[in-house]
Amino acid sequence: MPTPFQSQIYRSLPEIERADAIVDRITKAITLGLLKVGERLPPEAALSEMFGVGGATLREALAELREQGVVETRRGRSGGTFVVTQPRTQTDTIRDWFLATSISEIRDIGDEHAAVAAAIIRLACERAEAHDVARLQELARALVLATSPEGRAVADSRFHIELAVSAQSPRLANAEMRLQEETVQQLWTPLAVTFDPEPATAEHLELVRAVAQDQPVKAGNLVLDHIRRNIFHLIDTKLTLGYARSNQDTP
Amino acid sequence: MTTDPRLVQAVDALTGWFSAVSVEVSDLSGGVTALLEHNLGGKAKVDKAALVGVDDLAAEFLTRNSFAVGAGTFFATGSVNERSRPVEWWIRKPSGAIGRLKFDLTPGSHRYYDYEKLPFFSTAVSTGKQTLWGPYIDYLGFEEYILTVSAPFWVRAHFMGVVGCDIRLRDLEPLIMPHLRLIHGDAALINASNRVILGNSGRYLVGERVKSETPHQPRLALDVPYLGLSLIYTARPAAS
Repeated sequence: MPTPFQSQIYRSLPEIERADAIVDRITKAITLGLLKVGERLPPEAALSEMFGVGGATLREALAELREQGVVETRRGRSGGTFVVTQPRTQTDTIRDWFLATSISEIRDIGDEHAAVAAAIIRLACERAEAHDVARLQELARALVLATSPEGRAVADSRFHIELAVSAQSPRLANAEMRLQEETVQQLWTPLAVTFDPEPATAEHLELVRAVAQDQPVKAGNLVLDHIRRNIFHLIDTKLTLGYARSNQDTP
Repeated sequence: MTTDPRLVQAVDALTGWFSAVSVEVSDLSGGVTALLEHNLGGKAKVDKAALVGVDDLAAEFLTRNSFAVGAGTFFATGSVNERSRPVEWWIRKPSGAIGRLKFDLTPGSHRYYDYEKLPFFSTAVSTGKQTLWGPYIDYLGFEEYILTVSAPFWVRAHFMGVVGCDIRLRDLEPLIMPHLRLIHGDAALINASNRVILGNSGRYLVGERVKSETPHQPRLALDVPYLGLSLIYTARPAAS
């Protein structure tokens, strides 16, 4: 007999949650530029197989995306479901994220990121070569050159992902991509306190230098400080948005 | 210097294997060059019409060479007409079917694949010779852990781009490991930047860089022109 916990953990997923998860996944992919406007999604049968859902659930998800105006389904020989627009401004979605995510969860994201980043930087020191270093320098500079919050988010995440690429581990690179996807928009979208790209760029360049000089201890400390600073910024934003100081409390 | 017959046998087998890949890439390059020469007539820039049949060459390459997972042509942006796509790259899909791989080629976009800066392209351009790049994670490209063998090509003395093929590390392993396993003691095939492509033990792991050459770590260059491959192995004290 399953324990109450087990039956809670392994309860079947309601179809509606699965459709929402698909909407969420595709919306996020478009926001991140992983799916471009004009791009055609794979055929419905392939989609439902890949997502592991029934045709009905998939169609429900596509209907929701159509309703949001994000995709459009065209009939005919060159038909299919196409991405037609960027999802509505992300600021509201990100504000919701901050309101719905607790400080302990934000700290925990930082804990995981620190673990992944520490492993990546150690391997990058061992494995990166001249070409990787030159490329990382260029990607680091792209952050300070970016002119919009979205551009900064792209530049920041691309730097960290390609740092992981230089570590030669596809799994760590995937973990880094997932972590970037989870937090990079939150970091750069100006909601409460604007995040300054200059110190972040300086930290990225310092990281590249440590990698180039194969100084794993220094690089490890730098990357942990870098992530800690990012997490403090997220927590600051959370506090400002979620727990505004009430003036009436002052005696 | 090398008298160990197993080592000689391994080097010969690896040389033979990569030479065959090199010849296949040269043939693809020759085929693409001849086709474009014909299609272009006197025109200087590649347009849609000039690309007719280029896809078949890549598909035939993949059909003939089961070791490769992708093949095709990356054009130099300067060699193509604005309205034609500068990449003709074909892949073997998980189902076994052959299909086109699409890339984001819009500069400044989130997933811009700036292939002209990647070594499989830039090294082929700067040396003018065939080249091998990898192991690398082809982020934003094929997105797998691969090796790329590529060769630059010209039509009537105009540089056009590079042709090449991708080999997944996990596909390569069963193909060349038996040769490495012939060698007694630790040995590894390494690329021109001293990066391990495959080792025959846990001592040399794929993707790691061999940083120092010790006296007990001799190196034999593989006689495959321009690919920069060599074999390192741990010399064992002479048997008495």
